[in-house]
Amino acid sequence: MVIGGGVIGCSIAREVTRYTPDVVILEKEADVADGTSKANNAEVHSGIGEKHGTLKQKLNVRGNRMYEEFVKGLGVDFKRQGLLIVITPRSLPDRVTGRLPALRRQLLKELVPRLILLSGKRKGIPGQRIVGREEIFRMEPNVTREAIVGVHDPTYGLVSPYKLTIALAEHAIINGAKVFLDTEVTGVNVEGGRVKGVVTDRGEISAPIVVNAAGVFADDVADMAGAGGFKIHPRKGATLIFDKETTTEYVRGSVAEAKLFVKKKSKGGGGMPTIEGNLQLGPTAIEVDDKNDTSISAGEIEEIFERFHYLLPDFPRRSVIAAFSGVRAPTTDEDFIIGPSDTAHGFVNVAGMQSPGLASAPAVAQMVLEILQDLGVPSEPRPGFDPVRPTPALFADQDRKGRERLIKEDRRHGHVICRCEQVTEADVVNAIHGIVPATNMDAVKRRTRAGMGRCHGGFCGNRVAAIIARELWMPVTAVTKDGGGSRLFAGETKHFLEEIG
Amino acid sequence: MKKIRRPDVAVIGAGPAGLAAAIAAYRAGMEDVMLIERDMELGGILPQCIHDGFGSIVFKEALTGPQYAQRYIDELGGTDVEAKLNTLVLDISPKRRITAVNAREGIIDIQPKAIVLAMGCRERTRHQILLPGYRPAGVVNAGLAQRYINIEGLMPGRKMVILGSGDIGLIMARRVTLEGAEVAGVFELMDHPGGITRNVVQCLHDFDIPLHLSHTVTFIHGKKRVEGVSVAEVDSEFKPIKDTERFVPCDTLMLSVGLIPENEISKKAGVELDPVTGGPVVDERMGTSVPGMFSAGNVVNVFDLVDYVSRSAEDAGEGAAEYVRKPGRRKKPIRVVPGENVKYVVPQLVRDTGRDMSFYFRVERPQRSVAIQVLAGGEVLTRRKAKMVLPPEMIKADISPGDFGGRGKVGPISVEVVSDEE
Repeated sequence: MVIGGGVIGCSIAREVTRYTPDVVILEKEADVADGTSKANNAEVHSGIGEKHGTLKQKLNVRGNRMYEEFVKGLGVDFKRQGLLIVITPRSLPDRVTGRLPALRRQLLKELVPRLILLSGKRKGIPGQRIVGREEIFRMEPNVTREAIVGVHDPTYGLVSPYKLTIALAEHAIINGAKVFLDTEVTGVNVEGGRVKGVVTDRGEISAPIVVNAAGVFADDVADMAGAGGFKIHPRKGATLIFDKETTTEYVRGSVAEAKLFVKKKSKGGGGMPTIEGNLQLGPTAIEVDDKNDTSISAGEIEEIFERFHYLLPDFPRRSVIAAFSGVRAPTTDEDFIIGPSDTAHGFVNVAGMQSPGLASAPAVAQMVLEILQDLGVPSEPRPGFDPVRPTPALFADQDRKGRERLIKEDRRHGHVICRCEQVTEADVVNAIHGIVPATNMDAVKRRTRAGMGRCHGGFCGNRVAAIIARELWMPVTAVTKDGGGSRLFAGETKHFLEEIG
Repeated sequence: MKKIRRPDVAVIGAGPAGLAAAIAAYRAGMEDVMLIERDMELGGILPQCIHDGFGSIVFKEALTGPQYAQRYIDELGGTDVEAKLNTLVLDISPKRRITAVNAREGIIDIQPKAIVLAMGCRERTRHQILLPGYRPAGVVNAGLAQRYINIEGLMPGRKMVILGSGDIGLIMARRVTLEGAEVAGVFELMDHPGGITRNVVQCLHDFDIPLHLSHTVTFIHGKKRVEGVSVAEVDSEFKPIKDTERFVPCDTLMLSVGLIPENEISKKAGVELDPVTGGPVVDERMGTSVPGMFSAGNVVNVFDLVDYVSRSAEDAGEGAAEYVRKPGRRKKPIRVVPGENVKYVVPQLVRDTGRDMSFYFRVERPQRSVAIQVLAGGEVLTRRKAKMVLPPEMIKADISPGDFGGRGKVGPISVEVVSDEE
């Protein structure tokens, strides 16, 4: 049993189904990928930003290498597009030779890129190379003219974190796993030093092995099993998303500014396109008290603008189409905590997940699988495992011929309901009846992009709500944005008047 | 390969602009006019605008939105214009090749002799104004809320705060009040209302709904559904003043924070846009920078009255018909520039001074006792007085060939609003 339907929980569950179909994922929200996994920058880091020798650094480098194999058969795009690390006069703090400008420039130009290369080599990151100033501008014409030199990191990749998570969950399900949504774990049953199962808000479920992949709530869940002793301190990261149209003419790949000898809480962020081609700027890193604090403040928005205005001057401020925050789940020592409990046999913590959790996911799943096999999960791959997850084709992703074929198969593909992202009625219906069904607006959005474009649901909102209601045989007034109490409507107009007299 | 359709004129969008443009092109002698609409019915935004006040210029009477639309739909019924509903244009090439799609015919190729772009506008969202806070249900744009209530019969909430005092926001304040919801207040960033005076009086004053000028929403509270908003007064640079921040409980934040001309496919077609209006740079026939491509209504700039939308669209429809008949080289244009206290002028270009034309423009700031002047090469062509001009209200200035006084070569045209106090 896996607690938490995020990218880590779903990666582990999918891995386990290669050996046994007997897996359950419990997710407290109405969809998988509804926590931190939906709200990050979609980066598959190379591992250059992690401290040498930490568990997350090792798993990051290993996970990155495994990605092609990891996404095989999932129907999810993964692109190794590389990262351009730009070295600027700000790459060294002022205290380093601040009073000797000539020496400083020399250090920045000659020493810093070599330090980065050396560090990459030590960490096992292949293919990094130094990029001269002219080449930087050839690669990214809009980067600051202050750029001195750069390092190109070719292993860095992009993947849609929620599409990946949904695909992993669905791949697990077609191989026998069960996913219970809207199911919150409220207790863990431990008897005689052995885990027996969990208590949820929808009843008890017994299981001899329980994996704690509860993200920001992993410390609370561990405490329920008496297997805690660590503390997650939530740290928020805010990101701005820009219109695709302005993005394509502005950045080509991912860019980040090198910052050496500064105390880092999380990697510095940068400007990068999403796999769908929208520019993102961010993220910030702010300690918060509330694990559900996914708000974004005016100060954070300003901070993002100010920070990245230097690296990417004159970026298209006016074309922001979305702003979001996600909450990282770091532990006090900032490393991953992965291992079986000494006190509750069968209970395994997979905690402290923050960046580079997405990049590390394949390696984390591998590592946890080995732990689980020690606890009794079969070690022989089962022959019945289906390596391919069936994926409904989206109209927008097809070329002309593919689109014509889709319309022939299903007329509803000729009915485009979201014009910004060209999502059809059939796309929405397929998402609603998917293997992990999309039962609310955001869940449909994550699978189809309906409402994710520049008008943000202004045109398609009512249409998507009506299709959800129709397909799920529910009144449209019961349709939610994101499950729980997030209903879109207060009621029907005339009933509403009667109700208040 | 399916047959390529080759109509004389294709009009994209069947709102007030598209309807008027299609009818005008047909009346101008075009036999094969195609009207393409993505929605399931004609009329665009009008069917949901059930309040009155439409048609005072075109029909000299006060109609509701559906009534105004119906007049054009009835007129269209008497023509041979082919209306394609539930059909979305995916792409237009600079050579006027349209790719569209619907469920009945699949993907359709259309190569018209002329195109009128009449896609209207869309609402600015909370993200485009970078509104901080959570992302719960209950943050809704006023135009979408209007559709929910008037077309779908759904109430977006019980207690609302409205940000922005544009016309739709004002009209919706009244509308939700009539439907039994409470409006805690309308908050406006500027020191003057965003909508026209008539709406401030009839929609807010008459219903005792408070209007807070120089205020903004500083934070949206509530994780699943809106629980309230923080509001604050703003200083002269529109920055919130911290001490004035207060919490207003509500379950809905309705936004009326501006409209953006819908020009994504115009850009694909290579049409030059004006950064100020957000719409194509047009001449007096609403012709864009791409020959044979015209634009009409809120695609060009966001008008305040539907009557002006219809009028400008008739120019576009006639212009398209004229182009089909005589696609030859166009005359070199004269530039039209905004003068004193004028934010922008549409059209931005004049090619033919030998016909009647209208200039539509907005002022930058409110001003009393003014003269509105159209000049050419520095000389005043027309001058008219006005008691008061306000930024939300569009001003129209008509010019006839006689006003150019037989000048052979006309210098740059400008429109200005100057003080007329004696």
